[in-house]
Formats: sequence, structure tokens, C-alpha cells
Amino acid sequence: MKKLIQFKNIVKEFDGKLVLKGVSLDIYENEFVTLLGPSGCGKTTLLRILGGFLTQNEGQVLFDGEEISKVPPYKREINTVFQKYALFPHMNVYNNIAFGLKIKKEPKDIIEQKVKRMLKLVNLEEYADRSVTEMSGGQQQRVAIARALVNEPSVLLLDEPLGALDLKLRQEMQHELKKIQQEVGITFIYVTHDQEEALTMSDKIVVMKDGEIQQIGTPTDIYNEPVNEFVANFIGESNIIEGVMLEDYKVMFEGRKFDCVDFGFEKNEPVEVVIRPEDLDIVPREQGKLKGVVKSVLFKGVHYETMVETKVGTEITVKMQVSDDQPVFNAAANEKMSANDFYLDVEDVEELDDATIIARADAQAWNPDEDELISIKEVQYSIKKENGTYPVTFSTAAGTSVTVNMIVKDENRVTSEENEEEIFAVNFYKKADEIQESIALETDLKTWANASAWSLEGEPVEITDVKYDFDPEHITPGVYDVTFATKGYEYKVDTTDKHEVGEEVGLIFEPEDIHIMSMEQ
Amino acid sequence: MRQFRSMIYPYVVWLAVMVVVPMLMILLYAFTKEGNDVTTFRFTLENFARFFSDAVFLDVLKRSLVIAIVTTVICVLLGYPIAYVIASGPEKSKMFWILMITLPTWINMLVRTYAWVGILQDDGLLNKLFGLLGIGPFQMMYTTFAVVLGMVYNFIPFMILQIHTSLAKMDKSYLEAASDLGANKVQSFLRVTLPLSLPGVLSGITLVFLPAVSSFFIPKLLGGGQYVLIGNVIETQFLTSGDWNFGSAISLIMAVIIMISMYLTKKVDTDPAAEGRRE
Repeated sequence: MKKLIQFKNIVKEFDGKLVLKGVSLDIYENEFVTLLGPSGCGKTTLLRILGGFLTQNEGQVLFDGEEISKVPPYKREINTVFQKYALFPHMNVYNNIAFGLKIKKEPKDIIEQKVKRMLKLVNLEEYADRSVTEMSGGQQQRVAIARALVNEPSVLLLDEPLGALDLKLRQEMQHELKKIQQEVGITFIYVTHDQEEALTMSDKIVVMKDGEIQQIGTPTDIYNEPVNEFVANFIGESNIIEGVMLEDYKVMFEGRKFDCVDFGFEKNEPVEVVIRPEDLDIVPREQGKLKGVVKSVLFKGVHYETMVETKVGTEITVKMQVSDDQPVFNAAANEKMSANDFYLDVEDVEELDDATIIARADAQAWNPDEDELISIKEVQYSIKKENGTYPVTFSTAAGTSVTVNMIVKDENRVTSEENEEEIFAVNFYKKADEIQESIALETDLKTWANASAWSLEGEPVEITDVKYDFDPEHITPGVYDVTFATKGYEYKVDTTDKHEVGEEVGLIFEPEDIHIMSMEQ
Repeated sequence: MRQFRSMIYPYVVWLAVMVVVPMLMILLYAFTKEGNDVTTFRFTLENFARFFSDAVFLDVLKRSLVIAIVTTVICVLLGYPIAYVIASGPEKSKMFWILMITLPTWINMLVRTYAWVGILQDDGLLNKLFGLLGIGPFQMMYTTFAVVLGMVYNFIPFMILQIHTSLAKMDKSYLEAASDLGANKVQSFLRVTLPLSLPGVLSGITLVFLPAVSSFFIPKLLGGGQYVLIGNVIETQFLTSGDWNFGSAISLIMAVIIMISMYLTKKVDTDPAAEGRRE
């Protein structure tokens, strides 16, 4: 096969923002090539450069070996099916399709012949005299394809042409497009963000992200052997686990060695391991290569999507001291006021300000009759950057005041070398009614405990689990444990059987189900 | 909904009193004779017969139509390129030029037309300029030129705005598609831009032709007493001769002519498929 189009180091910027960062790509004759990527990845920009509607800032576009950057669109042997079809509303179907031929001043009988053939190809023979504005999305789509193909281009560009259609029609059109491409035997360059569309139709998929090509390959290559985490996640759902390639055909993850079919990595090279959800099976715990607990089950129609946690994340447990202290009542001013003691990290002392103290102490003043909040005018305290207990007094303009303690303690954090993350939280004081009235208790508990987690590189990590064993509706004064945890290792498994949440299970997979990717740089 | 329906009655009454009744009065006057006393009228077609049998009136009617058509044609020929240039410019300059074009319409039409008298008269601005160049002076006031100029000046903003609106709201992807299919700039314009902006041109034509054909103060000011158009005839019948019946009849004839011309434009306007039929 011969190279038809060559992009050489294409750079394009809009308003100082790089949209394409040096893209090089060869496209061959008669290929169905799909540019796949999320919106903003530059795929449409690349297509528009080829169509001649945009000019690159740097690089070359070769068509049949000739540089075409300076050739205007109307002189290129390329036709486009636009995202919203752009059918001429003042013309009927016939004249829309005949447009290009009339411009070329072809004889009338030839035009008629060619248009008729196209109408047949796209199954719209009965619609020649119909106004395009009266047609459905799917029919307009076909007219747009016919209008482009009738000019016998060497390349057809399609810019998310199925985006406006509903699911069923989209699937129908996918088959039809592939059929048309095979029938007319020209190169199709197809832009989409839909991975399923790309996998169904393409001979070659070009996965793009942030103006750069991530991977070029056949649908099977890209699905089975994604080069990095982005591609793996973008093309279908995947379980991605960090591991180490011990030697050819041997990989270690989750502290265990497994056989695999991959080779060519360096000894002890850190890698990412991809296992597709459909390649995993749930078996009784003792038979599993990995052991875990079912965390959640979602019904997906043909299968259940079961999440199995094989290892818990990083955990920290703090004490919650619940009291039923009544608010202070200032009868003279008819004001009520309350506040809690609270714990502070030594590190936080420097950045302390009034607003933070009010928030952490949950200090509030209100009028008991109207139930309206009254602002706190004064926060009095003195604090040193060392462990100890420091009183703080809140007062309103009317003179109502409450004094609580700020307890400064050393950092209360748990570091997990294995998970490469840290989690932090502090003990806290709460009143029983605040817990009863909370509408989003887990979020409130995180806020009250000032819980946060981050990776050892300093990136924030989400706290996904909040565990406690009290009944929030009927809590009584006392001391309770609250545990916060980050996400552990979870595997998404597609199963036909329904498993119960909390069930202890094993996971199995075959060596060929393991795909190894180099670590992303 | 029902409870709000009664709220439209004041408007219905207003419309009836201010629009429908005067129209009916004109209709009544046009087909009657004898003074202005409604109680003694008799039906007749005399007013119409008088108009169509008198060569002078028919000449005036013809002249009015010719001037209105010439004005409209000039407005299209001048207004389209202006609207096109504005619509294809950047957003900011668009706003500026649209403001520039609408700005004069904030001033009373009569005052603006008077200003032209100062410019066009024998010792006016233009002739003084010509004098500096060593040509002229030219007699410009009280000519067809002055009347058409005044009309074009007054009515062209309507044409530009209508065309601009239809050009500005046109989807740019149509032009990309045309270019993609092999059409160069001229071909794209003729086959896509022009036909798609036709509705704007047609409503512009309506908005220019209607006031142009019935205008009476522009010919009066710039055409002088001797330059009589149909609008002036109607004005004279009502204000000078006091022949309301004849004036009403002429008004009615004009109304019918205008209705026919509007029907014709509407027909072209709503039948874009006619353009698209197989050739």
C-alpha cells in the first residue's frame, strides 16, 4: 500500500495555546483511519488542517508526496462530511448532491447518472426531490455522505458524523459507513470520541490526547496492548495495577509473582499491569490468585459490574467525643451561643485566623425565637506553636460569649510506604444534636476531623471510606472511633452471577489476560 | 390562561378605533360621493373612473412607481455590498457600523431631508465644492436626481439592516461545505451566500419600496412644487382641495398596488424550493 497522506510534525496554536504539539502521521490508500480522543485533544483540528480550513503554524502536510498547505480547500481532492452536515437548506437533495459536479461543469446527463448512483449507494433513491430541511438526522447524514462521495475524492473526511444521531441509528450507520468505504475503496479519515465507534469501523486507530498521538494501531492492538494508562482507560474499562517486571514472562504485583506473555522489558522494570474486567473471574476465596471482598455490585443489563477490593487503602482512626452540652443563653440580649473544643495540628497554628477558628470550633450565636444566626464580633485567644491547651473566647456585639479550648497536638498522620500515601485526621468534639442533624454525615465527619490524604509526591488523594459504628440518629454522649481510609486496590470484574456486597471471594485470570505497559513518563 | 384573556380587550378596542375604523372610513369615502357628511352619501365608482380616465394622474402614478423602483434598485445595489462587508468583518467593527447606519434614523426624517436642501441648492455645499474644482454650478434641486437621492438616503438603512441580519445569521459551515465541494469564492457567493440571503433582500425591498412609493414630503422638499408624485396628489386632495372621497380612492388604489407587490415578493420569498428544483 502506498502512503497517501503524510503529516510531518504539525504544530498548531490558537491564541497562544498549543492544540497540536508536533503530530506526525502517515495514512495509506484505502484505509479506514479513526482519530480517537476526548474533546480538545486536537483531532478535529488535524482534520480541518487536512481539509484546508485551517493552516498549521509549523510542519508539512503531504498529499501524494506533494506539499498541500498552500492549496485552498476547493482545489484539494478531499471532501468532508461535516459535523452538522452543512447541507444547503435552499436546495433539494438532488441539487445538494449535484453541487460539486455542477461547479465542475460536468454535462447534465453525466451529473444525473452520478447523482442517481450515489442516491442508490446511500439508499435514498426516493428522496431526490425532497427538501433537506424536511429530512431526519440519519437521512441528512446520508445526503452529506453522498454529496461528498459523488466528487470521487481520494480521501473522505468525517468529523464526528454520527454524533447527532441516537444510539440505534448510530450503530446502523456504523455498519453502513464501513460497507460504503469497502464498496468505494477510498481512504476514510474519521474523527470521533466514541471508542466503540472506533473499534467497530477502523482499520487503524490513532489515539490522541492533548495535541499528541498516544498510540497508533489496529483496534485489536489498541484494545489488547494499550501503551499507557490513558489509552487503556479510554479504550474500554480496565483495571490498572502497578507492578514490577521481574524477567521476561514474569510479573509481580500485589506482592505475588504471576506468569504472563509479555517480554522485552528490563529486569525489575516498574510497569503498569492491565487486566480487562471481562478477563477476570470470581471464584471461591481459596481458589483465587488474588483474594478480596466485594465492595459494590452494579447491574449493567447483560452482566453485573462487581468491584472487588483486594487490599485496603491507608487508614487512620480518630476519636470523636460526643457531648450534650447545652448552648449558653444570654437572657438579657435573648441570644444563644455554642462552640466546641477542637484539636489543632502544630503545623496549622501559623496559618490560624478568626474565620478558621470559628469554623473549627463550629461557633454559632443565634436568636432562639427567630432562629436567626447572629454574627460573632470578636475572637480572643493567644496561642504558641507548641503542644498545649489554649482557651479561645467568642463573643457577639450584645456581649454573649463562650470560651472553649484549642488543643494543639503533634501531627496525627499515618504514612503508608506501600501505598505511597499519607492520611491525616484529628480527634474532635461534637454535640449530639449536630450529629443527628447532619444531612451529609460522611462529608461532615471528614470536615470535623479535618481529614485529608495525599500521595508522597504531594498530590491530593481522595478519602473514599468513612467508617463508624454508631447510630447517628440516636447517638448518646461518649467517645466513638471514626476511621477514614483511601481507596485500596480494587478490581472491576464483569460477572454473570450476582455476588453479595461483603462476600469474601477470590479472583482468577490467565497469563494471556495480563497486559503490561511501560510506566508513563 | 383564560383569566388573562380579558386583558387583551383594551388593545382590541384601541386597534379597532385607531386602525380598523379609519380604514373602513377610507373604504367608505372611496366608494361614495357628496361632501363629508356621512348621512347623505351615495355609492359610486366615479372616483376611480376619474383617476383612471385622467392621463395626468396616470402619469403621476407611473412616475411614482418608476421612482420607487429606481430607489429600491439603487438601495439593493448599494446596500448589499455594504451589508456584505459589514457582516464579514470582525464582531467589534460590526457593532460600530450598524450603529453608524442606524444613528441618522434617530433624527427626524424631515430634518434630515431639509439638510439635503442646504447641500444640493444652487449656492449649496456641493456646488461650492464644485466651484473650487472649477466646474458647475449644477442645477440639482427640483430634479429626479434630488428626489431619488433623498429617498435612497432615507430608506437605505432598512435595506442594509435587513440584508446584514440575514447574512450575519448564516451558518459559516455552508461556505466551508461549498469550498470543500470545489467552489471558489465567487461560485460560493453566487450559489450559496446570495440565495441564502435572498429573504433579507426581499424584506429589505418591501421596507424600501413601500415608503418610497407613497412618500410625499421628499418630492415636496427636494422636488419642489412641480415634481408631483402620487403621495403629493393624495395630500393635496385631503389638505388643499378637500376632496376626501377622491383622496381616499387614490389611497385605496395605492393600497391595492402595494398589496399585489407584497404578495408577489412573499411568493418568491416562501418558495426557496423553486430555486432548488431540478434544472
